[in-house]
Amino acid sequence: MRAGGKVLGLISRDRLITDSKTVLITIASLIVFIATWFAISIYSNLAYIPPPDKVAVAFFDSFTHKDISLGTNMWDNIFASLGRFGIGFVMAFLLALPLGLAMGYFKLAQLFINPIVEIFRPIPPIAWVPIFLLIFGLFWGPVVVIFLGVLFPLLSNIIFGVKSVDKPLIDAAKTLGANRLQLFTKVILPYTIPFIMAGITIGLGIGWMCIVAAEMIGAVGGGVGFYINFMKDIGRFDFMYAGMVVIAILGLVTVGASRYVENKLNSRMGVK
Amino acid sequence: MTLKITDLVKKFPKEEGELIAIENFNLEIKDREFVCVLGPSGCGKTTLLRIVAGLETKTSGSLHLDGREIMGPGSDRGMVFQEFALFPWRTVRRNIEFGLEIGKMPSAEKKRISDEYITLVGLKGFEDSHPYELSGGMKQRVGIARALANNPAVLLMDEPFGALDAQTRNMMQKELLRIWEQTMKTVMFITHSVDEACYLADRIVVMTSRPGTVKEIFTIDWPRPRDRASVEFAALRKKILAELEREVYDSSSGSVRP
Repeated sequence: MRAGGKVLGLISRDRLITDSKTVLITIASLIVFIATWFAISIYSNLAYIPPPDKVAVAFFDSFTHKDISLGTNMWDNIFASLGRFGIGFVMAFLLALPLGLAMGYFKLAQLFINPIVEIFRPIPPIAWVPIFLLIFGLFWGPVVVIFLGVLFPLLSNIIFGVKSVDKPLIDAAKTLGANRLQLFTKVILPYTIPFIMAGITIGLGIGWMCIVAAEMIGAVGGGVGFYINFMKDIGRFDFMYAGMVVIAILGLVTVGASRYVENKLNSRMGVK
Repeated sequence: MTLKITDLVKKFPKEEGELIAIENFNLEIKDREFVCVLGPSGCGKTTLLRIVAGLETKTSGSLHLDGREIMGPGSDRGMVFQEFALFPWRTVRRNIEFGLEIGKMPSAEKKRISDEYITLVGLKGFEDSHPYELSGGMKQRVGIARALANNPAVLLMDEPFGALDAQTRNMMQKELLRIWEQTMKTVMFITHSVDEACYLADRIVVMTSRPGTVKEIFTIDWPRPRDRASVEFAALRKKILAELEREVYDSSSGSVRP
């Protein structure tokens, strides 16, 4: 008993030490970052490098007060971005799912569609912004950019998922009497779900980058990207940085949430 | 249910010509008989079973189950796989219910049957576990229950205990015999283990090297459970091993079979 207690005590103490070490190093890293930022801001004495405390004040201010020249606060811009993001994302999902499943399942579909996909895939979604704004206008232009950004990673993940279905699982389902449709709904589709979820996580990250870039070039009804660019134009650099912080937080939250769902789902699906 | 295999031939296309995997294979498995098919690796024994299951097409010959010709996979033949092939996202119960679900069985009936087979294979208390939470032996219990729950006429087993350690393997063989005696199914069991075949089978079909065909059939009428340490057991094992060894030697030395 004594020996056991001792060992247990040691383990927990070890873990405590590593945990507090991690926290300490993280704090040290953040302190170094903020101190460097302060130093650069003070020594450069440039308007477009405000010190972190000013940015922090602007950050909170942007949520609580409507900007006089814009007539909106940060929440309004976040919701504008999220709305656009959501529409583009859902559109991409609705196309990628049937297309990816078909391309993974039917060789002919893959052979026919793949060349077209391969032509468009290497073009960064942002390169489409100018022409999309012309064609689709200031609201739908950025939406279509997000759509493209999300589409390709999602598509390739779904195709990969369908193609990697365990052959013995298909055999087992066949010997249990499954027809072609049941093979699809009861084996291939559930098998692909974790791959779809991984594609969603990657797509969220890419879509988020697309939206900011697209909104900077033009957006109707605001948006965080638009907000950042606008604040730069009127010389309110502390608010510009506040917008950038918002983008970082939103990106972390959406990708983090998606990853959380992905892990939850994987353990439910028996994928470890 | 009688399974009749007549003049079965399986050829695979190759870059030049074709590979004859199975040649003129004939076998009749009687109702409630336990037949082990034994052969050197690459003799086409798994291909043979997959053709019976309908997972692979035959080149020529015929397959009949109680007089009806076998065309493609069907729920009258249940299969147990070496790699278990359980659906990882389904619990033990939902794996066992897969075939019943395919057959659109009402859920009360489904539950009754899955309960029955969960008890039969000794998985009570694990109904809601996922496959990754189970040991190899338990996984294969699910595999057996899943195949049996569909009430097939024949149980096809493709080296079902090949992925298990020696001790689990022995225990599972014993368990399989218990289950077989309770359900009285016709079993076609593929193995490369002479010991396993001697322990389980009513008849052992020894196959030749590629192209695979029936080399010899041993009938064992000893009662079960069999004693692996007995003199007869050792003698039979020795005889079959010698047979197999000759087969492997002949094929690897490249000599032509008469």
